[in-house]
Amino acid sequence: MASFNINGRPVTVEADGDTRLLWVLREHLKLTGTKYGCGIGQCGACTVHIDGNATFACLTPLTAVEGREVTTIEGLVGEDGHPLQRAWVAEEVPQCGYCQSGQIMRAADLLARNAEPSREDIVTHMSPNLCRCGTYSRIVKAIERAAGEGGQ
Amino acid sequence: MKATDVLERKATRRGFLQGVGGLTFAIGAGGMLRAVAQTSGNDELAPNLWVNIGADDTITIQFGGTELGQGTMTALPLVLAEELDADWNRVRVEQVATHDPAYGNPRAFRYLGEGILYTAGSQTLRGYYEAMRQAGAQARKVLLDAAAGEWGVPAAELETEPSVVVHPASGRRMSYGEIASFAQVPEQIEPVDESEFKDRSDYRYVGTDVLRIDVEAKSDGSAEFGIDVQVPGMVHASVLRAPVEGERPLEIDGAAALAIPGVLEIVEIPSGVAVVAETVEAGIAGKDALEVNWSNESRFREVDSDAVLAEYEAYARDTAYSTDDIPLWQDVGDIDAALAGADRVIEATYVTDAAYHAQMEPMNATASVSADGKSAEIWVSTQSQSMAVMGAAEALDTTIDKITLHLPYVGGAFGRRTEYRQKDIDDALFVSREIGRPVKVIWSREDDVRDGTFRPLAAQFLRGGLDADGRIVAVHQRVAAPSVLEYMNPPRWANAGGRDGIAMNGAQETRYAIPNLRAEHVRMERCSRVLAWRGVASSYTRFANESFVDELAHESGADPLEFRLDLARNDPRGRAVLEEAGRLAEWTRHRDDTALGVALSDYGGASVAAGIAEVSVDEATGDIAVHRFWMVVDAGLIVAPRNTEAQLEGNVIYGLSNALRERISIKEGVVEQSNFHDYPVMRMNEVPDIMVKALASDAPPSGIGELGLATTGAAVANAVFRATGARVRALPFTRERVLAALQEV
Repeated sequence: MASFNINGRPVTVEADGDTRLLWVLREHLKLTGTKYGCGIGQCGACTVHIDGNATFACLTPLTAVEGREVTTIEGLVGEDGHPLQRAWVAEEVPQCGYCQSGQIMRAADLLARNAEPSREDIVTHMSPNLCRCGTYSRIVKAIERAAGEGGQ
Repeated sequence: MKATDVLERKATRRGFLQGVGGLTFAIGAGGMLRAVAQTSGNDELAPNLWVNIGADDTITIQFGGTELGQGTMTALPLVLAEELDADWNRVRVEQVATHDPAYGNPRAFRYLGEGILYTAGSQTLRGYYEAMRQAGAQARKVLLDAAAGEWGVPAAELETEPSVVVHPASGRRMSYGEIASFAQVPEQIEPVDESEFKDRSDYRYVGTDVLRIDVEAKSDGSAEFGIDVQVPGMVHASVLRAPVEGERPLEIDGAAALAIPGVLEIVEIPSGVAVVAETVEAGIAGKDALEVNWSNESRFREVDSDAVLAEYEAYARDTAYSTDDIPLWQDVGDIDAALAGADRVIEATYVTDAAYHAQMEPMNATASVSADGKSAEIWVSTQSQSMAVMGAAEALDTTIDKITLHLPYVGGAFGRRTEYRQKDIDDALFVSREIGRPVKVIWSREDDVRDGTFRPLAAQFLRGGLDADGRIVAVHQRVAAPSVLEYMNPPRWANAGGRDGIAMNGAQETRYAIPNLRAEHVRMERCSRVLAWRGVASSYTRFANESFVDELAHESGADPLEFRLDLARNDPRGRAVLEEAGRLAEWTRHRDDTALGVALSDYGGASVAAGIAEVSVDEATGDIAVHRFWMVVDAGLIVAPRNTEAQLEGNVIYGLSNALRERISIKEGVVEQSNFHDYPVMRMNEVPDIMVKALASDAPPSGIGELGLATTGAAVANAVFRATGARVRALPFTRERVLAALQEV
């Protein structure tokens, strides 16, 4: 069991403390935008923010988020949308789309640290996240677009 | 409109017809089928199976494909909307979510003489294109005739603007919705002649960057994939799968698993032992806690993939060996005489390892089987509505009308979801039938790899003859590989006459002017599960073909690009893509530290691509660095330019990732790889600069989802040769293989 904030609201989850945050989010809290891809921190499809830092939810036990602030794609986009989400649409980034929540969460982490990333900064920061469809060049363009519009 | 709305609709044809108040004409992909009784006072007008025009001006268009990320759910309706002259902003799309032959893809294989819904082989837009155009044109004609009748003017005086019929002479206008409220569908609608279709120069949508329908939902986390499905009362199952194909549990000790809170039941199913639990995590923990003693009798225990590949190679090279019951894949001219009479003959052997799809969404399915075990609802990511329904009916020994299919988005496919009996569906059905509750089964990534259905191992032996002028007179290609169809789709294989297009596509079938050709399938026993892979077989057949053409060019002393341009002398489209790729890559410009290699690849007898790789090789380590890749294609009419570029880039990345290092190996029947750390697919920081271009073309659209992928392996190998003089004939080009090739220089 753990209590934490999910997308700005407090929750208490009744689950074994070893349960990975990924499954807590997806199955207990029905926030399915965060995806299972590998379970070992190799693909980034499960990327969420814990206290603002991009983290693999598949490697994070529930106990580790006690009292912390967890943000998922649903919370990042919210009711009003997010510059990255709009840039993703404008650049028509997704193909199959499965990895894209994780990509956007990783990109948001970058822009929070570096409002004007170089292309090299983007590539380095984004490389933990796999996209098998090969949307990488559009991801770069979308991040550049969002950064250009000053959006975090 | 949100795409999720679309997918929530259970768009069966029955539902569609019931929804139109008895006013419909049924015109499927194959043409006129039947007229249906009609009543007056419409809310809607449905001139054919594909389109329904609401009195409120909403236009609903059905599509027969599955959306895998290739853009089908946008492209197919867009073609219909264009010909209908619909207002795209008022269009909503619905997916045909059942097996109904009337919606079958005209270019897919047929079952029992009937069409099927099957999204594979880059045949979806190509296959449905004419049906979509015809349906749009016929619906427009119905609207024009109805408006003409209402106004008492000749239909020839009428024009359309998006979703509006206009009579310019009188200035009168009527929206499609208004017309739908009174129009009657005539008993007979003649096919609209090609000459009456819109001129391409008048297109409003086709050829422009209309936003793909699925992109918004895929950019905010709301798109529902198979793995996201939640059904009331649902439980979860994790399956401990046999360590080697063909083994079965002899003893199952579930005590430790059952002691885990949340674990409900242990169920034996054909693929292994399922732990059923209230939560995903309890199921996973239960699976880890299971103790199973497996049988030790499968022939696959003996499999060592390196030894198998060596065996395939021996069979490929043994030209005296052939399988009598397999028809030649291709046989043109007189191969034996041509080789005997050639000025020079060279030969080479190429080998390719097994490859894994690595689609990002692991296999998963949700099923709810009825108490009598004879009907079911299933939710699954699939490439074929028909296969999913037929396979589920077969699994439950019932009829297809007892299967209700729900189609969430598909998190990558690349061939992985083309099986006749998709294994994730089987898992969910068998567990649900046993426990009497809805169940979701999610494969772990490790299971997705180890129980993968791979592109098969292949060894290819090529012999080629040159005449005294250095022109190719003959090529003989022997492809030693298992039958893929036999495993992936037994009913289709039974009707294939021994021709395995999944194992053999791209073997010769060349656009080049080569007078004598033979391609033959040297059918081997399979050593793993096998399935179509992106590009089907062309990622290995074209690797061999186009490497070998390079070897022949070298033998004749010709420049590799000039040699191909001469070979393509009878094929203007092939020449055009080669010329443009060469121009963009500055083929003739000298480079100090890098070299270029080129390859040409047809896909499906219609689309064609030229790829050029720029590489450097670290001769100390054997590492190949691909710096740039150019790909120029002719894929006929480009319906969606931006999406086309995205698909082509994806093909280059997928192909390069595979050619450089993706490798499945098997020892003692066990797949050695298990996840992305040891099956490393290309990451963003490893992608070269990629330039893609689709040439303008008068031809109909002919497929982009796999186009050019097959140029990547050969273009890189050919560039390595020009950089170092070393010929790498084994794919992927691991360090060891590159170093070995360098040793031979």
